Amino acid sequence: MKPEQLKGHLDPLLLAVIAGHPAHGYAIISSLRDQSDGAFDLPEGTVYPALHRLERTGLVRSHWSDGKGRRRRVYELTGAGATALTAARRDWQGFSSGVQAVLGWSA
Amino acid sequence: MVGVSRAAAPDADPVERYLDQLLLQLRGRAGDVRRILAETEDHLRDAVDAGMAGGLAQAEAQAQALARFGSARTVARRFGQAEHRLDPVDVLGSLVATVAWLGGIGLTAIGVSGLLAEAMGSAWGASFVAGDQSGVTYTTARCADFFEYHAAAHTCAQAAASHHFDEVVQYRVAAGVLGLLVLLAAWLVRSRVRRDLVGTLPDGFIASIGTAVFGLAGVMLLLQGASQAAFRGQGAGQYLSAAIVCVVLAAVFTRSLYRTLVHRSTLAPPPMETAR
Repeated sequence: MKPEQLKGHLDPLLLAVIAGHPAHGYAIISSLRDQSDGAFDLPEGTVYPALHRLERTGLVRSHWSDGKGRRRRVYELTGAGATALTAARRDWQGFSSGVQAVLGWSA
Repeated sequence: MVGVSRAAAPDADPVERYLDQLLLQLRGRAGDVRRILAETEDHLRDAVDAGMAGGLAQAEAQAQALARFGSARTVARRFGQAEHRLDPVDVLGSLVATVAWLGGIGLTAIGVSGLLAEAMGSAWGASFVAGDQSGVTYTTARCADFFEYHAAAHTCAQAAASHHFDEVVQYRVAAGVLGLLVLLAAWLVRSRVRRDLVGTLPDGFIASIGTAVFGLAGVMLLLQGASQAAFRGQGAGQYLSAAIVCVVLAAVFTRSLYRTLVHRSTLAPPPMETAR
């Protein structure tokens, strides 16, 4: 899948990955790739700006954590992030159902 | 503004070279930039480790990690889009800080030119620095005023020249003291807020303004001083003293600008960038 196709969907995808458990950037990106069976294979450096944006809007928060002798920035969902993720899932459900219905009739 | 003074050594590992390139591309507050660099390095080290664990040689793993991360330019641009908010407070702070620094430097330069004028007056006489046009006439009262402060003068014109010379030196030195106070205040504010107030401005912005303003002023003052010397016979020193200081300052700003531009052009070519 081309990165452009993810526009508008990257934020909820990141929220969903983080919702599983707090994680640092590399783990988040790896999870995103693995959970999508490689479909969401983004230029990895462009995910961090999205994480920073989510943090600035209060949907995630982050802190430094020492691990393996290296400081890592760990991201976790906030209450607002959980609410936003729930809403995003609901919206996607409705959207995908509608698309499926239309595509199903056309097929 | 966030900046760097040296590039990594040419034989530095590719990750470090990439981080240097990213540092040059990033804009914003120092703390934000440090965090981005730290996260980027953390990510790249993880990716290299993963690549080597997967059987790649170190160089291959580094190349793959950098390729997957994206070019420094692209990443910095995304961060710029995500983080560069046009905060009115930052903009106002940058403008005030720029005006304070340049204004303080300018006023201090005027003070230095006053000291230089004093030296010129001591060497070549007060009339070299300041004086009325030859042939000008003075009222008796005005002449008495001049002689009240410069009784040793032989003529009213000499007393007038000494009077004007004193004014040139005193007013300029007073401006210089004010300039030092402005610079001190700017430095104290910067120390207090612990932020680079001009950090939102492009690299070389202040140096460009300084080069243009002081360079232009220096040329104009030199021409005025030369004209004064050629056609009026006295008073050239007040312009030449200021011109010398302006030219020196313009040279300093030009050197700073040159170093900024050369530094960027030296590091800008991204040999390992592999934009995706």
